[in-house]
Amino acid sequence: MRVYVFKRLVIAGVTLLGMSMLIFVLMRLAPGNITDIVFESAGYVDEADRKRLEAELGIDKPVAVQYAHWLGEFVRGDLGKSYRYDLPAWEVIKPRLPVTLELAVLAIGFSVLLGVPAGVISATRRGRPLDYALRVLSLAGLSMPSFWLGMIVILLLVRSLGVIPSMTYVSPFENLGANLFQFLLPGLAVGYRSSALIMRITRSAMLEVLREDYIRTAWAKGQRETQVVWRHAFKNASLPVVTLIGIEFAFLIGGLIVTETVFNLPGVARYLVDAIQVRDYPIVQNLVMLIAVVVVLANLAVDLLYTWLDPRIKYGSA
Amino acid sequence: MTVSRPLVLLLSLVSVLTLLGPMAPARAQAPKYGGVLVTHPLSATPSLSPHEESTVATTQQASPCFNNLVYYDPAKKQESVDTLIPELAEKWSWQDGHRNLVFFLRRDVRWHDGKPFTSQDVKYTFDMVRGAADAKAKLKVNPRKLWFENIDAIEAPDPYTVVFRLKRPQPSLLLMLASGYSPVYPAHVPLAEFKNRCVGTGPFKLKENKPGEYIEYVKNPDYFVKGRPYLDGIKFVVIRDRSTQIAAVQSGQLDVAGTGWNRTNAEDAKAGAPKLVLVEMDNNVNDNVLINFKKPPFNDRRVRQAINLALDRKAYLVGPRQGAATFGGALLPRPAGVWGLPAVEVARLAGMGDPAKQKAEARKLLAEAGFGPGNPLKFTLSTRALALYVDTASWMVDQLQQIGVEATLEQIETGVWHPKMTRLEYQVALNLTGIGIDDPDAQLFENYRCGSQRNFSGYCSEEIDRLMVEQSQTLDRVKRLALVNEIDRKLQADGARPILGWAKQHYVLWPHVKGWVVHENSIYNVSRRQDVWLDK
Repeated sequence: MRVYVFKRLVIAGVTLLGMSMLIFVLMRLAPGNITDIVFESAGYVDEADRKRLEAELGIDKPVAVQYAHWLGEFVRGDLGKSYRYDLPAWEVIKPRLPVTLELAVLAIGFSVLLGVPAGVISATRRGRPLDYALRVLSLAGLSMPSFWLGMIVILLLVRSLGVIPSMTYVSPFENLGANLFQFLLPGLAVGYRSSALIMRITRSAMLEVLREDYIRTAWAKGQRETQVVWRHAFKNASLPVVTLIGIEFAFLIGGLIVTETVFNLPGVARYLVDAIQVRDYPIVQNLVMLIAVVVVLANLAVDLLYTWLDPRIKYGSA
Repeated sequence: MTVSRPLVLLLSLVSVLTLLGPMAPARAQAPKYGGVLVTHPLSATPSLSPHEESTVATTQQASPCFNNLVYYDPAKKQESVDTLIPELAEKWSWQDGHRNLVFFLRRDVRWHDGKPFTSQDVKYTFDMVRGAADAKAKLKVNPRKLWFENIDAIEAPDPYTVVFRLKRPQPSLLLMLASGYSPVYPAHVPLAEFKNRCVGTGPFKLKENKPGEYIEYVKNPDYFVKGRPYLDGIKFVVIRDRSTQIAAVQSGQLDVAGTGWNRTNAEDAKAGAPKLVLVEMDNNVNDNVLINFKKPPFNDRRVRQAINLALDRKAYLVGPRQGAATFGGALLPRPAGVWGLPAVEVARLAGMGDPAKQKAEARKLLAEAGFGPGNPLKFTLSTRALALYVDTASWMVDQLQQIGVEATLEQIETGVWHPKMTRLEYQVALNLTGIGIDDPDAQLFENYRCGSQRNFSGYCSEEIDRLMVEQSQTLDRVKRLALVNEIDRKLQADGARPILGWAKQHYVLWPHVKGWVVHENSIYNVSRRQDVWLDK
């Protein structure tokens, strides 16, 4: 097991190194840099001034030097300075992290809470009206983009009740009720799509397991339905579901960008798009790297969780 | 019985007054103090330093913090030299045949940090903006250096007098100084601090700036205008999604909304909340076609003229602009504008006539230039990747197709749009230009002068350049208008930067918002909001 964990950590490291190169190269391939945007959008192009700003920001140096400098600082935990706001990048990112984290946790939470029971119920009620109803709901979830759903929710709220969540961030420590009102709806909007996927995977995995001999044996021994379904069947059916949750976590960021925009939540996902538009390299590179680290760690956690879910899976010297 | 004549007159007067009583205008409501006004800006501002920015988002959000020497009267809808009011300057005087402009400053003004305001602050600010060799600070980006290039020297003979010495007479200088882009900065606060905070003399002090999220101001209790501001504060909440903006105003979270909206957006908002007041008015922003003078075949006048003729302006009005635009030349048409061409001349401009005849003429011109069915003119039509631009550019593709031109639409990301235009890296483009001040000096020098960095079409005419300087120093306003109209006619005939039309702006506000005035010939200049109050 230790060897496996070590190997996975090495692979994770190599993956992150590759990611860092990709992020850096892609940002540099995008046309224009922040000095272009700052100067030329102002209709003022003084080459001496432009060169001075480039030197100040360090983007006049060879690309390899810039890359090594950035990576070194990232590893040391120094996220540099935002070109746009002239503030330490961490100072800009830090207040936005809790927003995205709360939304992500709620979205994943909702997707599991809705998707897993729905999948299990659908499988155990196969062919019955409830099964069909749940499958229609999951199809709707897969078909509706989360930002569209979010917009509809906002419109319905304003039309029916004349209220919508606050347009500025409300911390849970400041007003828990307002915070929950602000986050529950976007959380549901993002989580609905994932829950539909989880429901479908859970359903098919459960259907497969429910056909197994040991389940028949459990029924024959007269065990209670909840015990058979949740203890014997679901535990064995949950491997693909756990994998999916890991993958969905990685995809979540895409859904969060638009949902944060629709609900006007000042999270890192929305901020990332703003930073890309003005080529704020330190913010973009560091944010994408942080997301990559989270995704790699989430996948690693999923792999390790397998051993607990299915003790037959042994990682070792092989 | 006889009734005396004076009594008859008296009785008649009383009767008339009794009848007119209900029709007489109600007495103006007395303003109320208190409340925080919440609105949304066009976008997040890159900084709180108007001298370094070129977006209305900055003047909207920074103006409550600052003051100018002179300002446009917020109560008047049209900005001109006649509507200037004093701010930090109590009075001013032109001397030496409009070569010296002397300002006499207020003595009761303090910066938000308590330091006194003096003439040194004015000298510091405008030496910096004009890029004087001995300026005490240098702007990283100086978009309006051109506005102040005619200043030869600024002198501060005593703490409350400032003299602007000019190279040549330029009456428009006062208008530049009144712009939302021309506040006075404190000489004692490092320039870099204006990236994220502001220290001004204005009616509101910065409470909190969360970049990209919101900017919140509180009332400045020491403001030099007694009794102002009425509001306890203003909050600018950045909301990117337009549907969310509409929902926010309908639910009452915003008191005023509509920055950057079109007519449909404003009508949608009002349909959902009928009590909202919808305002539509001119705003001095034009849709224009950039035709690259440096790239063949567009250096051929016939090709430029054909493109110009093919674009049916009345179809533009109905289509992309949804009926909300006016027509004109290089300057905002009258009556909203001060310097535009007369309506009768506007009606004769390219694209304003019979569409079928104009398209036939365009085809003929193209044929003369060597293009036709066997050899169609093909080019890329570039535009900014924003709905407001793409809608009009898509309409242009269709119009051009009707004369056999094959235009391919290219959407350019905002971040690289201006660099590409500045470097003339395009063939034909659809652009929007907002004029900061309704004045020929601001519009002509910036967008049409040979070599100007904002002359995105690369147009250059020695004659036009000469006339521009001539109009700038003409003191007689009637003569100046004649010169400006002459320049405009030549620009339109040359196809220097064909104007499709001048768009209108739309916004909505709740009836409890009072004193919120938007000017019809600029969107950049009056956002101080010291006279706004809430009737709640």
